[in-house]
Amino acid sequence: MKKLLMAILCAVAMLTAACGDDSAADDKLKVMLGSNVVSLDTSQATDLASFEVIADCIDGLMQLDANGNVIPAIAESFDVSEDGKTYTFHLRDAKWANGDPVTADDFVFAWRRHGQQSNEYGYMLGSTVACVKNADAVLKGADPKTLGVSAPDPKTFVVELEAPVSFFPSLMSFITFYPINEKFYNSVAAGSYGTSPETFLSNGAFKLSSYMPGAANIQLVKNDQYWDAARIKLDGFSYQVVSSSDNALTAFKNKSLNLVNISGNQVKSVKDDANLANDLKVVPTGMLYYVSFNQDPKNHHGGALANANLRLAISNAIDRESLVDNFVMDGSRATYRALPLNFAPHVDSGEYFADDQKLYADVVGFDVDRARQFLDKAKSELNRDSFELNLIYSNDGSSAVAQAIKSQVEENLPGVEIKLQPTPKAEYFSNITSNNYDIALANWSPDYNDPMTFLTLWTTDGCEISEHWSEPAYDQLIADCTTGRYATDYDGRWTAMASAEKILLEQAVIAPLYTKCYTVLMSPNVEGVEFQSVGVERVFKDTTVGKQ
Amino acid sequence: MRNYIAKRILMSVLTLFVIVFVLFVLIRIMPGDPFPVERMSAEMIAQKRLELGLNKPILEQFVDYMSMLLSGSFGNGTSLYNGAPIKPIMLKCLENSFKIGVLSILFGTTVGLTLGIVAALNRGKFVDGLCTIVSILGVCIPSYVFMIFLQYFFAYKIPFFPYFFDPARFMFSSIMPAISLSLLSISTVARFTRNEMIEVMNSDYVKLAQSKGLYGFELMRRHVLRNALIPIVTVIAPLVVDLLTGAMVMEKIYGVNGVGKLMVDAIAGDGIDYNYVLALSIVFSSMYIGMMLVLDILYGIIDPRIRISAKEA
Repeated sequence: MKKLLMAILCAVAMLTAACGDDSAADDKLKVMLGSNVVSLDTSQATDLASFEVIADCIDGLMQLDANGNVIPAIAESFDVSEDGKTYTFHLRDAKWANGDPVTADDFVFAWRRHGQQSNEYGYMLGSTVACVKNADAVLKGADPKTLGVSAPDPKTFVVELEAPVSFFPSLMSFITFYPINEKFYNSVAAGSYGTSPETFLSNGAFKLSSYMPGAANIQLVKNDQYWDAARIKLDGFSYQVVSSSDNALTAFKNKSLNLVNISGNQVKSVKDDANLANDLKVVPTGMLYYVSFNQDPKNHHGGALANANLRLAISNAIDRESLVDNFVMDGSRATYRALPLNFAPHVDSGEYFADDQKLYADVVGFDVDRARQFLDKAKSELNRDSFELNLIYSNDGSSAVAQAIKSQVEENLPGVEIKLQPTPKAEYFSNITSNNYDIALANWSPDYNDPMTFLTLWTTDGCEISEHWSEPAYDQLIADCTTGRYATDYDGRWTAMASAEKILLEQAVIAPLYTKCYTVLMSPNVEGVEFQSVGVERVFKDTTVGKQ
Repeated sequence: MRNYIAKRILMSVLTLFVIVFVLFVLIRIMPGDPFPVERMSAEMIAQKRLELGLNKPILEQFVDYMSMLLSGSFGNGTSLYNGAPIKPIMLKCLENSFKIGVLSILFGTTVGLTLGIVAALNRGKFVDGLCTIVSILGVCIPSYVFMIFLQYFFAYKIPFFPYFFDPARFMFSSIMPAISLSLLSISTVARFTRNEMIEVMNSDYVKLAQSKGLYGFELMRRHVLRNALIPIVTVIAPLVVDLLTGAMVMEKIYGVNGVGKLMVDAIAGDGIDYNYVLALSIVFSSMYIGMMLVLDILYGIIDPRIRISAKEA
């Protein structure tokens, strides 16, 4: 018995000695991911976590620098034809992690596959975004070989467009347009591409060393074959999926993680903590939170929201400043335009599309008297004195905002009653598609750096959160701006997009609320993390971690 | 005996079939789509429903599903990880959960048995009271409170263990998750051991052994423990399955890629992944039913009265 006891004690002591010391190693970068990586297959990834990990490992033709400018990546340079409809990219000598050269065929293969699979981001190839020749037909099932991409030689990649797209080079930094090594893809078992370090091939800054679908912990190491390997300072880093911000905060204090996102209600306590206050950083994003009104006259509350005055009343009864200061609390900024702040700069002036927040002050703002006037009009037009509306929202952190909107609207608009309907995320979208809602708390992140990434949401055949609103004049403006008469006229297009936004806000199709900001805690020894508001959220190519 | 076993196996298969059928129907009538619809157009959703055969009558879908199961496949996910094949991912997760589950069972039964034996030997004394308090606490404290407590104190206040599970340091980073899971088994095993030991110690044959002059460790080992352990084993068996399947919260808190986390992801993701939920439920149910089957058969072997009464019934 004594021998056994001794043996156990020895084993525990050895285990402790062997493992106890490196838990405090804090010169490694350990980053929080707020949700699981959905897929590392560029044609299937749909979420910000996946985009980020893919961009760590794969380079596209172009990339964005710290200021959001488009700079070359795999493409050393590119030429545009005079009519703006043909782009010729000249590739540099880059290699995949297995030593294969990155060729134009890798792009052709990935783009065709993307068109053929026609997944959620397939539309990026089509006529509402990149306008690649024949993309719409390919997305509907035509032969992918008819897609307007070709590789005249291994170092030249040519894209033909249906119409000129002014922001086309910036699109090339988005993961949809990244290459896949065809030979490698065909060498892994069907359906298993991108499900483990062995079935995923990098050409970018890092490569996977530990990963599986749904992994709570992802390890990356530096890719020595990367064309710009000299730029990469980190030997590698790891991601930890942490869904609770309380857990994230404790892990940061514990130095188990050195870059985490925290929630708005933690900000105050962090600011009061002398050890943490200096590590706090507010990072603007391009995500717009807004209220979506279901205008379908057939919806279950009689379609009262088809009345523009009722929508305007609600939009003007919401105090957005109070919302961000007292309920969101993470540095998010009140927004009075249909586009987020600091997004989509004009190519000449550099001014952001929604810089002038007071442009629609007469229809979007907080003004109780005006809201009540709109409400009185709505009451007389609809011949009703009271309105009962349900407000649907995903219960993953929007509760405080939903409750605030309810109390503000009910207090400022007598006769309007809001019923809160929190739902899990999967149910939230099924309620919306099945038309089972009046008002939805919605948000949208830009996929590319152009106002169109938002404005196309509200066309008649836009995305699922479509408000059931249809306005031919609006649809026409959007069509003019994508493939129509303004396609080659930058300023004309800019003005037309502004007119489209005007229709949206004057009719209160949506009520914009705020532009989301993240509050992050970053250890002082971590430097050079680039935060971007479009596509990939964080880039670690210039990141260094010093000793603390 | 052969009849008894055959009957038991048949019943188990039937139970599993009923479970699969009920789950299959329930999951299809429950709200929520099986795929993320946020960026999908109506056309794409229709196409996806067609691909997954969701437009067919539910019975036909069930027949398709069963034939797939019988061919040894769980199919592909409907939304989770974009339709990657389920089996390899699930096996990897089962492996992780299993390893931590086994560690936790080893720890739980060792501590539980020790507590139970010590309490029984010191019946009515201070130590006995202490053991009773521990086992009551074990049942009363919600396991996630205990998990967060452990993580807070032993990874944050005293930063000895890693805060998150780390696959690169499997053993060391499994210790806290395993201990945090073992709370229930410690208290259950301790309680049962104590009661069984006391019962056996008061039995006539132990008294006889004592009257023959047998005392101390030898008496405990040869007569008391051996007889007390049989009912305890039957308590541990279902606990094993509970640990392997019921680790959802633990896996979320410590970030373990196990089946519990997989189940949560399948339900709480952008869409409810029908095939993952079904596959995992089938695995969980099979484990439970399998364990019960083994127990039933063992009971039959140990105690002839059970198989006789089964025959009469």
